[in-house]
Amino acid sequence: MDTINRFNHAYSQAPWRIQRQWISVFLLIVLGFAMIATLYLMVTSQAAIVGREIQDLRLEIINTGHTNADLQTELARLTSKNEMERQAFALGFRPVEPEEVEYLYVPGYVAPKGAVLAAAPELQPSTPNIPPEYTQSLLDWLGERLQTPGRGLR
Amino acid sequence: MRQQYAWRSMLLNGFLAFVAALVVLQMVRIQASAEAEQFRKQANAFAGEYKTFYPERGEIYDRNGHLLAGNRTVYEVGVDLNTVRDPHSIAMALSVNLGKNYDEIYSDILNPPAGFSYLVLDNHASPEAVAYLKELKKELNESDNPTPSLIGLEFSPRLARSYPEDALASNVLGFVNLEGRGYFGIEEKYNDLLAGNPVQVWVPSDPNRAIEIPRIPNGTSLILTLNRDLQDAVEEILDQSLYEYGAQHGAIIVMNPQNGEIMAMASTPRMNLNNFQNYGVIYNNASEFNRATSMPYEPGSVMKIFTMSAALDTGLVTPDTTFLDTGEIQIGGVTIKNWDEKAWGLQNMVGCLQHSLNVCMTWLATQLGPQNFYGYMNRFGFGSLTGLDMAGEAAGRLKVPGDADWYPVDLGTNSFGQGVSATPLQIVTGASAIANQGRMVTPHVLYAMLRDGHQFNVPSQYAGSPIKAETAATLTGMLAVSLENEASAALVPGYRVAGKTGTAQIPTPYGFYDFSQTNASFIGWGPVDDPQFMIYVWIERPTTTIWGSETAAPVFSEVAQKTVILLNIPPDSVRLQTATR
Repeated sequence: MDTINRFNHAYSQAPWRIQRQWISVFLLIVLGFAMIATLYLMVTSQAAIVGREIQDLRLEIINTGHTNADLQTELARLTSKNEMERQAFALGFRPVEPEEVEYLYVPGYVAPKGAVLAAAPELQPSTPNIPPEYTQSLLDWLGERLQTPGRGLR
Repeated sequence: MRQQYAWRSMLLNGFLAFVAALVVLQMVRIQASAEAEQFRKQANAFAGEYKTFYPERGEIYDRNGHLLAGNRTVYEVGVDLNTVRDPHSIAMALSVNLGKNYDEIYSDILNPPAGFSYLVLDNHASPEAVAYLKELKKELNESDNPTPSLIGLEFSPRLARSYPEDALASNVLGFVNLEGRGYFGIEEKYNDLLAGNPVQVWVPSDPNRAIEIPRIPNGTSLILTLNRDLQDAVEEILDQSLYEYGAQHGAIIVMNPQNGEIMAMASTPRMNLNNFQNYGVIYNNASEFNRATSMPYEPGSVMKIFTMSAALDTGLVTPDTTFLDTGEIQIGGVTIKNWDEKAWGLQNMVGCLQHSLNVCMTWLATQLGPQNFYGYMNRFGFGSLTGLDMAGEAAGRLKVPGDADWYPVDLGTNSFGQGVSATPLQIVTGASAIANQGRMVTPHVLYAMLRDGHQFNVPSQYAGSPIKAETAATLTGMLAVSLENEASAALVPGYRVAGKTGTAQIPTPYGFYDFSQTNASFIGWGPVDDPQFMIYVWIERPTTTIWGSETAAPVFSEVAQKTVILLNIPPDSVRLQTATR
């Protein structure tokens, strides 16, 4: 018994060591929590910043749309019939009289029929009729052959 | 000693645990309290809002891509009642800069409706006025004095309709009111397409919950068949001719008789669409907005072309068939006389048209019989809508046998355009069958739609074939000859045209005709061998002369001369030369 006590005494850790271990474990846990909290804060703050940027960009898109519309309308106003006519008169032009118009024959010329402000919609190509030989797997082909009466393997 | 410290330590731990438990308990209590629900509601109120995103209204272009209706930024000016400090200054600023009523605004801010935290004070403020107000607000904020102050005044931009050409084609376009709804013309007819589909989305204030707002496609843009330059020229000619002939109002339509495309449509009065608030001042009723489509009237002798086409189509007559005009004819117990109350003697059918003989037309109608005559009138579309793609079209009135107010004499009077009402558009539509080898077109102003970056062209439609191609060719030739024989003012140098004048007395509300006032009209088309334009002129109550041949006919010629230049239609001689190459 005495031997066992001596043995225990010899191999047991000093109390201060055990305390240190506990403190270390505690600090490790605290550090872990701190790291997680820091990471969470970083991600959250970055998400908030990005979210705010999204909101700002959305506003910017709307404002840009408004500016585009304003500029387009202003351009149309500057090139309106009355404005163009006023400028033409100021430059010394006048409306042509019917007898002053001279028509020239231009071979191959086709007069434009109307405004083309955007491309015509693309025609949806019809589904190509591909023979099953090009789409079937070997197993599909084998199954079909076996299941179809009168069509054995060739 | 150690035991003593251990006990103290336990006591401290217990105390701290107790305090922690109290904190947790308090947290639970607060969460479960009645006030908590109120706080949650308050927090939710600021967590975001349902926003309705309105698509940008589609634009409207003419056939050459000139913008006729676009959009521009205007501002909604409102006041945040929670933050407003100085209602007097806000009311004063808005009355000076936006022309608002000071007392109304001051009173509204001080006595807002219950439950309101935001009041809209103006929803159509100009960017210039708002820029000034923003600057003023900023300057007042920077000053040390608490008043005057515009704190609480808020500005939100939005798009509103704008018409860069002002009054041009106003009768075709219509307008959009402050609430964004289209009225009249294209704006009303295609309101749903132009306006697009608004989308309501919950938009959180918390940036962490920023969500993707679905893409809201703009409204569909439209390309019209109108030619801006021709429209302007036609409006100018109409205004000038009304002045020259002392007429009250009028309308002119220029249409391609081969496909029904309306290239110009003028009507008086017109209004600057950017000031649509003046609508009530300019127009007495809705039908005045576009006389060409919405105001039926008794067109008079232009209807004779339909009577003659029916007679030719049934084989009743040929151009050489003769008729002895005695100056009067009896029908339904009533004597019908010619416009000059004279007898024109032996005439062929060209002469009947050339001299516009009522007696001859009445004879044709009686020979056709009511069933045949009204059958043709129905097939030409009289009494029915043409199917024009504009709002507010009127159908006119064609009395037929069986109607309570139809009398046998109506067969005679209808044959020369009395007792029947039609809009200029209906007459143009019917006449398109004569110009277009018997095929009647459906008039339309929509050329194409622009959506999702693609242009969808609208195909032309036909509204039946009321007469045979041979009949159409024969009648066109007769009308061209009749104009040439009488050296009509409607003739267009260099181009062979066909047409017919109309001078119609105006019925009074008492059932009689006013002999002192007339509606002068002309329907014509050209070039005869390949008609590319059809023009209808209506001059209402001309005073310098009452006759269509002296008012509407020269206007037709003037419009036709402008049309051939603007549409690059060479004279017949040049065209036939190039055709043979």
